[in-house]
Amino acid sequence: MAIEVRIPTILRTYTDGAKAVDASGTTLTALIDDLEGNHPGIKGRLIDDGELRRFVNVYINDEDVRFMGGLEAELSDGDQVVVLPAVAGG
Amino acid sequence: MARFDSLLESVGGTPLIGLPRLSPSPDVRIWAKMEDRNPTGSIKDRPALRMIEQAEKDGTLRPGATILEPTSGNTGISLAMAAKLKGYRIVCVMPENTSEERRLLLRMWGAEIVSSPAAGGSNEAVRVAKRIAGEHPDWVMLYQYGNDANALAHEETTGPELLADLPEITHFVAGLGTTGTLMGASRFFRAAKPDVKIVAAEPRYGELVYGLRNLDEGFVPELYDASLIDSRFSVGPRDAVRRVRELLELEGIFAGISTGAILHAALGQAAKAVKAGERADIAFVVCDGGWKYLSTGAYEGTVDEAEDRLDGQLWA
Repeated sequence: MAIEVRIPTILRTYTDGAKAVDASGTTLTALIDDLEGNHPGIKGRLIDDGELRRFVNVYINDEDVRFMGGLEAELSDGDQVVVLPAVAGG
Repeated sequence: MARFDSLLESVGGTPLIGLPRLSPSPDVRIWAKMEDRNPTGSIKDRPALRMIEQAEKDGTLRPGATILEPTSGNTGISLAMAAKLKGYRIVCVMPENTSEERRLLLRMWGAEIVSSPAAGGSNEAVRVAKRIAGEHPDWVMLYQYGNDANALAHEETTGPELLADLPEITHFVAGLGTTGTLMGASRFFRAAKPDVKIVAAEPRYGELVYGLRNLDEGFVPELYDASLIDSRFSVGPRDAVRRVRELLELEGIFAGISTGAILHAALGQAAKAVKAGERADIAFVVCDGGWKYLSTGAYEGTVDEAEDRLDGQLWA
């Protein structure tokens, strides 16, 4: 099962500069664990104390995972995951 | 009501317009809340005026004062108009990757502009404004990201107007920037009609805007309360441009680019309702007209070309 994960500039030190990497998992937690296996250290930048870090937003097919079950959000083959730092608007 | 004692009195009371061609069926309808009809042409007239009046009432804003505000444009333009009429000086901190029209309008209404770096977008504008505020303790930063009057404006006006015009409303869809529109309207609906779904559409910019030095420099507005939102979507420039052009082509409405992003989320809710066989009356916010974004190139050429041109710009 392949899921494309888009990595923000600030975390590309963990992916050898790659803008997007493939990972697998049926939940976001499993996906992040799989990412960690290939890109050690990245998990700690996304998760703190069992929760998504405050300034990290993760989207599955453009929907914010915090409204889809958070780390337990389910994933299917072909989904696209986007990781972005939180920024201001207005 | 169509007669007002002054321009400031005429903020709000905007029309709600049906979109018969974009609505998927008579049971699933989409409605546009025309916030471009406000005095300076954007939804920000509501919170800007409310924040100024609140600050006047509690004594933080006194005659001759200088207002300071980080803004990507519309809030600054609204504040500048009100400041001109009320006799305040205003300094706006604005990211340099915003459209030229916004700068021209700000200057026209008398605002002084301090540019903040493009990388980091509005986060940088907030940081620079906070630094300037420290250097000028006598200046008044209304601070739209953390000012309750911002959300209150929508709780007291935008929400009630929508319910009065569309008692059968099932969804409210708006842009997420300061979060004021969604927080305020949601507070109103949670009390007045709790089954209304509150949906956020957040613009997804090019990489430059997310080019923070570290993740801890991220920013979540102090006003934001996730429990007041039911779902939140990230919409990139491609979908925003595609939808803003559809709105013009099919319904004749010439809106700004961020409105395209919001319409995209509204159409997503409409498709969901059709699939579930449920009726829906979905109101979404037209934040402003397209005039301020003509120079961005969003309305010309192919969608691919427009997407390329918007890369790196703060288009919402």
